[in-house]
Amino acid sequence: MSLAAEAFVSQIAAAEPWPENATLYQPLKEDQILLSDSASSLAVQTFLRMCGLPVLVSCRANAEYMSPSGKVPFIQVGNQVVSELGPIVQFTKAKGHSLSDGLDDVQRAEMKAYMELVNNMLLTAELYIQWCDDYTATEISRPRYSSPYSWPLNHILAYQKQWEVRRKMNVIGWSGKSLEQVYEDVSQCCQALSQRLGTQPYFFNKQPTELDALVFGHLFTILTTQLTNDELAEKVKSYTNLLSFCHRIEHTYFKDRGRINAA
Amino acid sequence: MRKTRVGALFCSCRLARIKTLSMFLAFIPPCRRSVLSWRCALGCCCMHTNMAEPMELLCWGGDWDLPSVHSDSLIVLAYAKFSGAKLAVKSIDWTWRTITASVPQLHYEGSTVTEPAQILNFLRKQRFNADYELTAKQGADTMAYIALLEEKLRPALLHTFWVDAENYVNLTRPWFTSHSPFPLNFFVPGRQASLALSRILLTKAESPLLNITEVEGKIYSEAKECLNLLSHRLGNFHFFFGDTPTSLDAFVFGHIAPLIKAPLPSGQLQKHLNQLDNLCQFCNTILKNYFTDASAEKRMDCSLTAPHDPVDANLQKLTQLVNKESNLIEKMDDNLRSSPQHRHETKPSARASERNSPLLSKH
Repeated sequence: MSLAAEAFVSQIAAAEPWPENATLYQPLKEDQILLSDSASSLAVQTFLRMCGLPVLVSCRANAEYMSPSGKVPFIQVGNQVVSELGPIVQFTKAKGHSLSDGLDDVQRAEMKAYMELVNNMLLTAELYIQWCDDYTATEISRPRYSSPYSWPLNHILAYQKQWEVRRKMNVIGWSGKSLEQVYEDVSQCCQALSQRLGTQPYFFNKQPTELDALVFGHLFTILTTQLTNDELAEKVKSYTNLLSFCHRIEHTYFKDRGRINAA
Repeated sequence: MRKTRVGALFCSCRLARIKTLSMFLAFIPPCRRSVLSWRCALGCCCMHTNMAEPMELLCWGGDWDLPSVHSDSLIVLAYAKFSGAKLAVKSIDWTWRTITASVPQLHYEGSTVTEPAQILNFLRKQRFNADYELTAKQGADTMAYIALLEEKLRPALLHTFWVDAENYVNLTRPWFTSHSPFPLNFFVPGRQASLALSRILLTKAESPLLNITEVEGKIYSEAKECLNLLSHRLGNFHFFFGDTPTSLDAFVFGHIAPLIKAPLPSGQLQKHLNQLDNLCQFCNTILKNYFTDASAEKRMDCSLTAPHDPVDANLQKLTQLVNKESNLIEKMDDNLRSSPQHRHETKPSARASERNSPLLSKH
C-alpha cells in the first residue's frame, strides 16, 4: 500500500471501536493448513488475545485467495480487511490498542530487529523444509495444500506454489543450503532468542509485546506439528527457557480453550 | 668498533627484537594480550619469512572515497580491518571474473568461501575475532540487527542503485560498464539489475500484483524506519557496542557507506540518511581510522577522540612504543649497513691511505 493509502486506512480504522464480530480467516485446520501458515495464524491470534480483543476463527479453503496480500492469516474488522502480523499490529494501534507503547526508542528498535530475525530465519526455514525438501514436499506439503481441490487442479496449484517458494529461496540465497545447514540456522536463531529472553517472563520483562506473540506462534507450532522427522522440534526443545516461555503463554492466554489443536 | 659489534648483534639476532616486543606484552591484561600478540606475531612472521600464505579476497574495486563500491565486499573489508586480518585484496574489475565470480570471495589454502556471513565465520575460526568481548546477549542482538538490515534496508538499497531509472542510467550502469572488460560490459550491469529487481519483487511484492511501483513506497518507508532505528540504537557512541568495532559495525558500514558516498542523482534515501548525523559520523570515523593510507603511527595518534578506558589508552601507547621500537631497529640496521665504518672494516688499506694522504699533505 502506498503511504497515502495507509494513512487513509488508519484514519478510517480510528473512527470505530473494535467490533464484536471480528473474524480471522485461515486455511482448513485439519486438512489443509501448513506449518508456516499455522505459525503465522497462531501468532496473530496470540497477539489479539494479549490485547484483549475478541476474534472468531473461521477456516476456509480459499483463505489465501481472499487475502488482500495473498498471505494468511487475515482479519476482517467491520468493513476492512488486513493481513499479516505487521499491518495488523498497526491497525490495532490505530484503533487505540497497543502492547509496545511502554518501550523507549532503543527497545523498540530491538523488538523490531528480533521480529525480523524470526521472520528471516524461522519462517524462511519453515518454508524451506516444507517446499524445498523433496521428501517433505511430496509426503506432506503438496497433498495437504491441494486437498480441497479435485484433479487436475490440485496438481497444478501445488506445483505452482512449490515453484514460487523455490524461486524465492533462490533469490535470497537459500537454495544452495542443505537441510543440515537449515537446521543449524534454526538452532542459532533459537539460541539468540534464548539468550535474549534469559530468565525473564517475557522478552521485555513485565509486559508481553508483539515479539512474544510472534515467537510463541512459531515455536509452539514447531513443537506440536508432526513432520517427517522430529529434528526441528528437537532443536527447539534443547532450549529450556523457550519451552517454559511457550508453556507460560499457553496457560495464560489459551487456558479457556484447553490445549490448542495445531494442525 | 663498538658500533660494528652492536650492528652485528642486531643483524644476527632478530629474535632479540621479538623478545623485546614480548616484554611489552607482559604488561597487558590477558584478554587484550591475545589480540595484540596475534597482531605482533603476524607482523613478526611477515618480517621474518613469508611462511603463512596471506588470505586473498576478491571484490569489486573502489571509488567515491570507498575501498569498494559493493556492499558485501565492504562488509568483509571492514571486518578484516577491525579484527586485524591481513588480506591480499584483489579487485575483479576489468577481468572475466566480473561475470563468473560471486563476490566477495575469500581464497585460503585451496578453499573458497563466499557470502559475507560465511566469510566472517571463517575468519573467526582462523582466530580473527572482533567479537570476543561481546556478551551472549550482545551476540544475539548482533544477529537480530543483521536480520533487520537484510530485510528492511537491503531492498531499498538495491532499488536505489539498480532499479531507480535515473540512478541506474546516470551512475550505476556507467560505473560497472567502465569497470568490466569488453564484451562483458554489455551484460554485467543488466544482469545485476535484473537480479536486484527479481529479489525485490519476490520478497516484498504481494503475489497477485507483481508491480514495482506498488512496492516502492513500502520499501522506502521501511528503509527509512530502519535507518531511524539504527540511529536510535547508536545514540552518541562511536560504535554499536562501546568503543571497539565489531561485526555489526562492519555490516552497518557496508550497507550505509555506499549510500552516503555515492553521488546519486535522485536519492531520497540518501537525503534521509544525511539528516541522521550520528550514522554519517560513524561512517566517516571508520573510513578515517581504518581505511586511510596514512602510516600506522599517524593513525594511532589521530585515533578516537572519545574518552577511553585507561586500559585502552595504555594499550594504544604500548602499541605505539612497539611500533616505534621496531622502526628504530630497522633504521639502525640500515644505517649500520650503509655506514662508512662498516665499509671501512672491509677495505682497511684503501681507507688508511686516504686518511694518511691529507695528513701528509698538510704537513
